[in-house]
Amino acid sequence: MSAQPMTIIVGEGTCGIAAGAKDVYKTFRELLPDARMKTVGCVGMCHQEVMVEIIDGSGGAFLYGKVDRKNIPSILEYHAGTGDIRSDHLIRSGSRTNGSDYLSRQTRIALRNVGLLDPASLDEFRMRGGYRAIEKILSEGITPDQVIEEVRTAGIRGRGGAGFPTSVKWTFARNAEGNEKYLICNGDEGDPGAFMDRSLLEGDPHNVLEGMLIAAYAIGASKGYAYIRAEYPLAVRHFGSAIRDARSAGLLGSDILGSGFSFDVTIKQGAGAFVCGEETALIASIEGQRGMPRIRPPFPAVKGLYGKPTIINNVETLANLGWIIENGGQAYAAIGTDDSKGTKVFALAGAIKRGGLVEVPMGMTVREVLYDIGGGSSTERSIKAVQLGGPSGGCIPESLFDTPIEYAALNATGAIMGSGGMVVMDEKSCMVDIARYFLEFTQIESCGKCTFCRVGTVRMKELLTSISEGEGTMEDIDTLEELAHQVRTSSLCGLGQTAPNPVLTTLRYFRDEYVAHVEEKRCPAGVCKGLITHTIMTDACTGCSLCERYCPVDAITGVRKKPETWVIDHDLCINCGMCVEACNSDAIRVE
Amino acid sequence: MEQHSLEAVVDEALVRKWIEEYGSDASAAVPLLQAVQNEYGYLPREAMDMIVSGTRITASQLYGVATFYSQFRLDPVGRNMIKVCHGTACHVSGADRLNTALRQSLGIKDDAEDTASNGSYTIEDVACVGCCSLAPVMVIGDETHGNLSGADAQRHLKKHARRNGEFLPGHEEEKSDEAARTRQSSENRKKEVRQ
Repeated sequence: MSAQPMTIIVGEGTCGIAAGAKDVYKTFRELLPDARMKTVGCVGMCHQEVMVEIIDGSGGAFLYGKVDRKNIPSILEYHAGTGDIRSDHLIRSGSRTNGSDYLSRQTRIALRNVGLLDPASLDEFRMRGGYRAIEKILSEGITPDQVIEEVRTAGIRGRGGAGFPTSVKWTFARNAEGNEKYLICNGDEGDPGAFMDRSLLEGDPHNVLEGMLIAAYAIGASKGYAYIRAEYPLAVRHFGSAIRDARSAGLLGSDILGSGFSFDVTIKQGAGAFVCGEETALIASIEGQRGMPRIRPPFPAVKGLYGKPTIINNVETLANLGWIIENGGQAYAAIGTDDSKGTKVFALAGAIKRGGLVEVPMGMTVREVLYDIGGGSSTERSIKAVQLGGPSGGCIPESLFDTPIEYAALNATGAIMGSGGMVVMDEKSCMVDIARYFLEFTQIESCGKCTFCRVGTVRMKELLTSISEGEGTMEDIDTLEELAHQVRTSSLCGLGQTAPNPVLTTLRYFRDEYVAHVEEKRCPAGVCKGLITHTIMTDACTGCSLCERYCPVDAITGVRKKPETWVIDHDLCINCGMCVEACNSDAIRVE
Repeated sequence: MEQHSLEAVVDEALVRKWIEEYGSDASAAVPLLQAVQNEYGYLPREAMDMIVSGTRITASQLYGVATFYSQFRLDPVGRNMIKVCHGTACHVSGADRLNTALRQSLGIKDDAEDTASNGSYTIEDVACVGCCSLAPVMVIGDETHGNLSGADAQRHLKKHARRNGEFLPGHEEEKSDEAARTRQSSENRKKEVRQ
């Protein structure tokens, strides 16, 4: 073993831990009891988890991916000078910020520290320039109006999905009557395919907190709430410790840094309601009520939490503010397009080779994100569509992958920028099933206040279910479209107004799939359970009996080592697909 | 099969402590219910009555909140929770298959049921745990597992059961002292909450 002092940095975000980071940490600790060990948040390369960075005695940095207990010894042998470098696990060596395509094509502003610093360390955050923006504001006497002006120059729009200009919203609250105002950080990341807020709160909590300080100063708020999903326990823990550390360093509380400005933050955990991402519903939830939206105006900026002026900013919006104040609004506005300034973080997942968190300049095309950064399809099948914006968004087909990422251009496709969920689908994904999936989600999550959202989404889901079971008619497709337009125009809040988007976009771009389900009683992707059958192809079967062992309904029978005897009883089969997964010789046909 | 009562015995002193911590105003409703559920795994009627009589929160508000948010449940749960993620990425990667596989291992046949008959495990579908790149994902107790096939899910469940002194239905002959097991699992749940 090398006698040089070595630093081992293990990525311990939720995804890293899920991939076994704790075990990796323990193994390094056992093998190298004297090494400096450190944990950081997730750098966003989820496809490479568990990720470990080793800084050797001479200061060289080596980033390894897919590390597990078994390959650690060979990595250490290399660093001890007794083994070859494990190139299949080494992602890059040298400086910490250059490297693979995955990172070099990105522009990291909101995510600038995530994965590089220990989220539990206030000192590390300050060493990387943290809290300099709020110190600058307070020590140089920059007025709230000047802060708002800088953010106006930057041109940043709310990153939660709707894209309302942040400076305009702030101005409403700034000009509102009264001394008691609130700032709320919206970390109720409800899109079931997005995790940028989680990653920011887990991996760089002080950055979000500094953003809250800047926003609170601009609007004149003295009390803040961080509304974080209860499903993100690590984010709640890291953000809580950031609040405590900032408080003891005099960066939160009364008379911050002797400036006379006071602000403090309390964490409120969400209780699992998608609609609470909507501003007025979120406020109702903090007040201890059912999270139901109300009619606007009055807007929360004028009359919000407990009837006081309230600004609600998304986690990602807040994570950009420190950078904007430090580097100036113009530097931020120089990135992106006329319509959309700056960068946007996306959670790239699904059938993609290199999934994870990516932050790209506005104006980059969908294709560049998917192929240049994401590396294309993770399967042998090609990419068919990408779902943007979750339950409020839509599916963009391959033919429109050259659409630039900016608010107006994405809206024109029928999808939306959304909060940043980007789920990639290959030819094995059924678009009717995706539409049904999202409608089921919004139907459950509808708060029930508006009739069209409450009942309309149920009816739409029923129609989609019957189509996916091969019992739909062509008339059902028309009814579906009509209902979609009615739900959209007759709902009070964003949930109902956007709920039909997944249906409308799939009807627009993948109508042939709907028609195949209705007229041919066929699911082209082989997903919809009512329209597929599983059959054992005896020429490929080896008679190993694995499928029999995993079948949950005992529908498979046969004699071991006699392939010709194996059959699936279609009366018993529930088309769950367990046998397909279990089969080592691809002998089960789904059609 | 023998049915185990999963009803919790509510500790009034604990409820009083939470009321002291979170206050008696309407806005304390969600944190109070979260505290109760973290402790007992569900919202026992008794605990809700104690909150109503000990705070300014009305019964209708408390029950309204408890039934609105998907985190809360009014029925008792098994000694361990399995959360199966049904986010978009998990859905397209076959999350349904994990449910099928786990229900098979736990012998849950009735569609309306989500708890194994021996009270060992409860399966809960959740919207998204935020590990989309590792889809499909499930969380057993406080362990998150990703990139799962149905068979993987069953394997992890078996391992978890072995480590925590639980037995899957159909393997009752291996049963040991049940009291020790209950104690162990309730410790686990508390550990999970603290983290």
